[in-house]
Amino acid sequence: MPQSVSSLAAAPAGPSLLRRLARRNEIALLLSLLAVIAFFALASDTFLTTRNLTNVLGQAALPLVAGIGVAIVFISGEVDVSIGSLVAAIAIPLITIMNATESFALGVAGALALGLAVGVVNGYLAAYLGINSLIVTLGTLFILRGGVYLYTGQRAIPDDVMLESFFQLGNGRLFGVVPHPAVIAVILLIAFAYFLRHRPFGRQLYAVGGNPEVARLAGYNVRRVKFVAFVISALLATIAGILLASRLGSAVHVAGLGFEFQVVAAVVLGGVSLSGGVGSLAGMALGVLILQFVSNGLGMLNIATEWQLVITGGIIIAAVAFDELKRRRA
Amino acid sequence: MSLVSDRSQIVLLGILALLCIAISLAAPQFYTGANVIAILRQCALVLIVATGMTMLLVAAEVDLSVGASLAFTGCVGMDVTNRTGSLVLGTLAALAFAGGVGLFNGLVVTRLKVNSLIATIATMMMLQGGVYLYTREAVQNLHQIRAFTELGAGYVGGLPIPVLIAALIFIAGFVALRFTTFGRYLYAVGANGKAARLSGLRAERLKLVAFLATGLLVGVAGLILASLMNAGQPTAGRGFELTVIAAVILGGTSLSGGRGTLVGTLLGVLVLKVIDNGIIILRWNQDLQMVVPGVVIILATWLDLVRRRRDAR
Repeated sequence: MPQSVSSLAAAPAGPSLLRRLARRNEIALLLSLLAVIAFFALASDTFLTTRNLTNVLGQAALPLVAGIGVAIVFISGEVDVSIGSLVAAIAIPLITIMNATESFALGVAGALALGLAVGVVNGYLAAYLGINSLIVTLGTLFILRGGVYLYTGQRAIPDDVMLESFFQLGNGRLFGVVPHPAVIAVILLIAFAYFLRHRPFGRQLYAVGGNPEVARLAGYNVRRVKFVAFVISALLATIAGILLASRLGSAVHVAGLGFEFQVVAAVVLGGVSLSGGVGSLAGMALGVLILQFVSNGLGMLNIATEWQLVITGGIIIAAVAFDELKRRRA
Repeated sequence: MSLVSDRSQIVLLGILALLCIAISLAAPQFYTGANVIAILRQCALVLIVATGMTMLLVAAEVDLSVGASLAFTGCVGMDVTNRTGSLVLGTLAALAFAGGVGLFNGLVVTRLKVNSLIATIATMMMLQGGVYLYTREAVQNLHQIRAFTELGAGYVGGLPIPVLIAALIFIAGFVALRFTTFGRYLYAVGANGKAARLSGLRAERLKLVAFLATGLLVGVAGLILASLMNAGQPTAGRGFELTVIAAVILGGTSLSGGRGTLVGTLLGVLVLKVIDNGIIILRWNQDLQMVVPGVVIILATWLDLVRRRRDAR
């Protein structure tokens, strides 16, 4: 601890800007991301093309959008693993309502209503009843997936009306270049990053996650902050689910299997602590991008998807271990 | 000391009794000997791994890679037995593999200080990818060794062999957690790692042992599963880790470490498997096998919480 006290005291004149920057987790992540990109750019001719880079951004959009919510729940000191089933579940009202009404807006409203309901249930059980959030969201993960199987009879529900607006949402490109999901993800990222940094809710979130007892004494409504975090997470997962459904063109019962693990891994890789109060959305975004670029680059090198899983797993362990090592030395 | 010293187990016993009564009223065949044995056999695989998982959770760690490791171990065991024609070598290979995975998890968590939730998600990914690199299809039983088939399907004294193995492992785990210094230290490490370390306990070593034990138990379960399916299935065991953790948590073991018992875990496994069985016997839609346990783990945890709050008052 003496280290941090002295660096605080010396802050104005303190260590050089470069030094301070280097200590920031995000810089290390950014350098790692650039290293990954440089490596694959050298190794493959087709990697560093606009087409491929924008494709990766489009693919990264889903874990990015859902990752914002998961990161917010993590920062509040809780966990949300229900998102993997939620992305599949919200596609059911989305597609069935669109099929029935031919209205894109009503379909989205139906999806958001289900997402909101799940967020409220998760938040109420975890924040107000005080049930461990891993258990709660593991429970809703089971319930939602089972519900999807029951409702669909383990078959995909096709999109019969094929609205242009719905198709464009997941598959269109802004100016013909940037995939719409990537645009949506960036807008949400900036909005929530501003929200966390400059609005009272952000401060409350970090306070509640860092030390709930102190936050309570400071007059923050700990339960409400956590409740809101769960609702935000479910709504963002819903948006990710809508984008996914647009890409798949149907409500697929097995969509999002394992998505929760992918997002949790990226969020933690991005430096968001499981124990609460620590992390940033920038770090989370870099974590998602690193994993996405690695899997895309390995694909470009014609490396089997199986190896991609193995290598990604190795990277996660190495990155978190390295981070821990750095922290111990600092 | 009575077996159900922790009162949260009374809640579980009540739930279990209610379930049994309700199901047998609706479907009398629930209480036939064949069905009871079927339930016990279903319980065996989960209980074997849950014994290790309970130790890990008591030590405030978790292992999510058990499902992926279960499938991989079955493939390794079957493949080595096919190649060598020796069940002993196959068994050793499977145990060595699964134990190796446990050891790897343990080393990553205790030496590299990676959070076990993340470390074992990563291991899970590596094993899922790795098993397909190892074999694309199910490894069929080419050796037809009788003892191997007996492992899953055989009986000794009217009880299925997997149930007997699970019972032995359960008793060993129970004694280890309850009556040895290892068990007591594990609770101490889980409840307050720093205090345990300051009082001279080798916390990392204890956790490593718990990871290794869980790995070896996955090896045992993987062999039984391969025997029951008569093949090493690379896709087997998907979601198995969640079932195991749900059972352990349902049994009253705390995720934050230091609290939990194997008797609770046994009850948790029984509750989940009786529900599974009831859904089949009542001819309900089998997809309910995901929904109902989800409701039950939330409900049981909440009931436990309410009871504990009332006690605290």
